[in-house]
Amino acid sequence: MKTDPDVIVIGAGGGGPVIAKELGERGINVLVVEAGPWYGNKKWPEPNQNRGKAKMSSDPGDLDGSLYRNQFTRLENDMNDLVTGKFRWGSADRRRTPWYRNVPDRSFLYQSAGIGGSTVHYYANSLRAFPQAIDDEWPINYDDLIPYYEKVENTLPVEFAPTTSKEALFYYGAEKAGFPLNQTLDVTSSGYRPQPNAILPPNEHLMDPDVSLEELSHMEGCTLSGHCGQGCPYGPSLEKMAKRSTNVSYVPLAMKTGNVTFRPNTFVMKILTEDSASGKPRATGVQIRDTWTGEMEELSAGIVVMAAGCIETPRLWLNSELPHNDWVGRGMTTHYMDMVTGTFDAQTLMEILGSPSVNPFVGHTSGARLDYPGLGMIENLGESPGLSAQQAFGFSQYGYNILRGPGSDKWDQRGRLTGSELEEAMNGYKRSLTLLIVTDDEVQYQNRVELDPNIKDEHGPVPFVRYTPSEKSKKRRDQLAKVATTMLRGAGASQVHRSDLPPNYYIHIQSTMRMGFVVDSSCEAYQVQGLYIADNSVDYNALGGPNPTLTTQALATRTAELLADKYF
Amino acid sequence: MTIISTNTQEQEYTQASFQALTDAILPPDSEYAYDFPDMGVHAYIIYALDHYVSIQQQLHHTVVPLAYPTAVMLDTAAAKLVYTHQAHPSPQSHFPGGGMFSFLSRQDRIRTLAALENLYVDMYALPSPYQNNAGLVKHVTDALNRFSMFGYYSEWPAYGSTRLYPPDSRRLQFFPPGWQQVGYPGVSLGYRDFRGFLLKMGRSEVE
Ligand SMILES: Cc1cc2nc3c(=O)[nH]c(=O)nc-3n(C[C@H](O)[C@H](O)[C@H](O)COP(=O)(O)OP(=O)(O)OC[C@H]3O[C@@H](n4cnc5c(N)ncnc54)[C@H](O)[C@@H]3O)c2cc1C
Ligand code: SF4
Repeated sequence: MKTDPDVIVIGAGGGGPVIAKELGERGINVLVVEAGPWYGNKKWPEPNQNRGKAKMSSDPGDLDGSLYRNQFTRLENDMNDLVTGKFRWGSADRRRTPWYRNVPDRSFLYQSAGIGGSTVHYYANSLRAFPQAIDDEWPINYDDLIPYYEKVENTLPVEFAPTTSKEALFYYGAEKAGFPLNQTLDVTSSGYRPQPNAILPPNEHLMDPDVSLEELSHMEGCTLSGHCGQGCPYGPSLEKMAKRSTNVSYVPLAMKTGNVTFRPNTFVMKILTEDSASGKPRATGVQIRDTWTGEMEELSAGIVVMAAGCIETPRLWLNSELPHNDWVGRGMTTHYMDMVTGTFDAQTLMEILGSPSVNPFVGHTSGARLDYPGLGMIENLGESPGLSAQQAFGFSQYGYNILRGPGSDKWDQRGRLTGSELEEAMNGYKRSLTLLIVTDDEVQYQNRVELDPNIKDEHGPVPFVRYTPSEKSKKRRDQLAKVATTMLRGAGASQVHRSDLPPNYYIHIQSTMRMGFVVDSSCEAYQVQGLYIADNSVDYNALGGPNPTLTTQALATRTAELLADKYF
Repeated sequence: MTIISTNTQEQEYTQASFQALTDAILPPDSEYAYDFPDMGVHAYIIYALDHYVSIQQQLHHTVVPLAYPTAVMLDTAAAKLVYTHQAHPSPQSHFPGGGMFSFLSRQDRIRTLAALENLYVDMYALPSPYQNNAGLVKHVTDALNRFSMFGYYSEWPAYGSTRLYPPDSRRLQFFPPGWQQVGYPGVSLGYRDFRGFLLKMGRSEVE
């Protein structure tokens, strides 16, 4: 292939591989540079231990499903530990510390570096925005987005989640609380439905006892193994893995175009520009650093696409000293979250489910949802025990239940649980249903990513991240917490715990480089010619509450089309 | 005084402090129960804190170990509660080598954590990097809870003697006790719990 690509894409997470595949299909030569490791690629058989012989890979034959399965052990500490886990935010070399970000206060910034980015551990819920959050708000209309949503839904592909015990209990609770089933992808009123998610439906033999689970796990389709959060290595080949993280969906498709190369272990330090006739600078390439050797290099390309995610894209803009824009890194939204956990008696469960436990670890990590336009949404969440304990009982802005009590008769317990309270709550793990509350939060200028004035790492000044919810967001969250509690009580929960999460639980970060402020409606930067953005940061707002990735992928698909029309 | 003995003392002190911490947060007797081998979660927290933050100082990439200053921070906060009669130390500690924090009852140790996250402490008296750094104090105090629970209820304790090896050299030596306690069966190939589809894509018909 040519040494100088036409386009350099920075970051291979939720958005980067999508735009790379779309451009590659148009015959445009793309290099995707990614800061983290590549799992499931023969060129890096031990991605966390040594740098491997190759620098990059463009041959789909390099992809290896069984290697991927060995690496994705599905053990929650091995995969998800913030410091040493395979999905941490840091370099491939696990002897090194993670990359530092200054996130003050009680906070949890949950992102993953590597080919696939944060989609390796995401739950694959692939939702369209609420139309009311787009129309008359964004610089584009909901109708403009629909064909791109459809294209991504067909490509991933997106299906409605199957029902397992915890979804059955969720639907039961939603009905008891008076909500209807919402049979649509375009949600305009409240109701419950299965998650549309990027997970292949279970194999038709899943319930056939003559086919072993071992065999099934090598066949096409979800086995309901419940490891979505630890990464999904179930399927006949890498590109047929059940959970459609971009590393198993868009990355192989991009490689198959013959025009796209991915280069892992490469951190972009700086966007390079030169003055142009138009008076504004023009992107000419990037300065990169090899994360194993520390070697620096410059790569050139006519077009640069930033897809480094909501924290690193603005950081990179600022570290590159691109033209000043008041909105770079500003207006951050994060779907102000909360969690409510109900624990049920075996008898009650027997009556509803015909079994004495819910077993939250079975099936898609999150297969059911309740949409509530105007407030946000509620989804079920069935994680493994370590993650469940730390999120539901170890993380709170309320403090400790033993010191404060629940503070309201709606909840039996609230805040952090410790000692025997914790033990008792976790002993109910198998009989529990946790509801994640995801609040539509308002864009506010002061919520931001900026450069820390005092602290640098090997890639320059580190990001400083701060978010405070608005009064409106707080009210919405409280209303959703009540709705969730009503659902649990209605279903017969004997004990209800509210986590009261701190605001700085960063899972759905969006809108730090907003359309209409930093980029135009084709996602090209207003102030730098040939510089595009294709990640969650271009979102104008928090979509009304739905999970962000599908919208990012739809926009990246659209951006590819507009970019190609303008420059190629 | 040789450097080595200071280090050992420092290590003993840090260990005792985090044993006192996990003893307050985690299920009772977690560290010493008969049915389970030593969970050692305090060692997990010490490792996590010592490898959490790294920064660039001039030409050097430096790791900023947080375990020792965090232990000192716990003691500073504990001492304040004691002086103001909000906590009452017992005459002796179950955690030899520990400071004031380790002399408190479980509830008072939790009270100490609550005081810290509400910055009820003389911020100037804290060791670096916590001194006058409210954001970091709150962040790490909160993380102590999360780390404790993730250390305890994940598979980490089951790495046994390989717990502190580099991740790729760790081996599970027994079934994770936290998983056993809560009835989590561990890594699975799948479950036969398919109850049908409520909706199908593109057709939207109910089964
Ligand atoms: C536990 C969890 C569950 C989630 N579940 C869902 C869900 O069900 N549905 C949903 O829609 N969303 C979900 N999300 C959110 C989802 O992961 C993100 O919306 C999505 O991954 C964002 O895509 P992105 O491209 O903006 O960023 P990322 O996916 O984070 O990708 C950015 C990539 O850029 C790389 N990078 C960063 N800086 C540089 C640099 N300077 N040089 C080179 N490379 C760089 C990073 O390593 C990373 O790979 C979940 C998140 C978490 C944490
Ligand atoms: S439940 Fe999740 S991890 Fe398990 S097979 Fe299905 S998609 Fe993969």
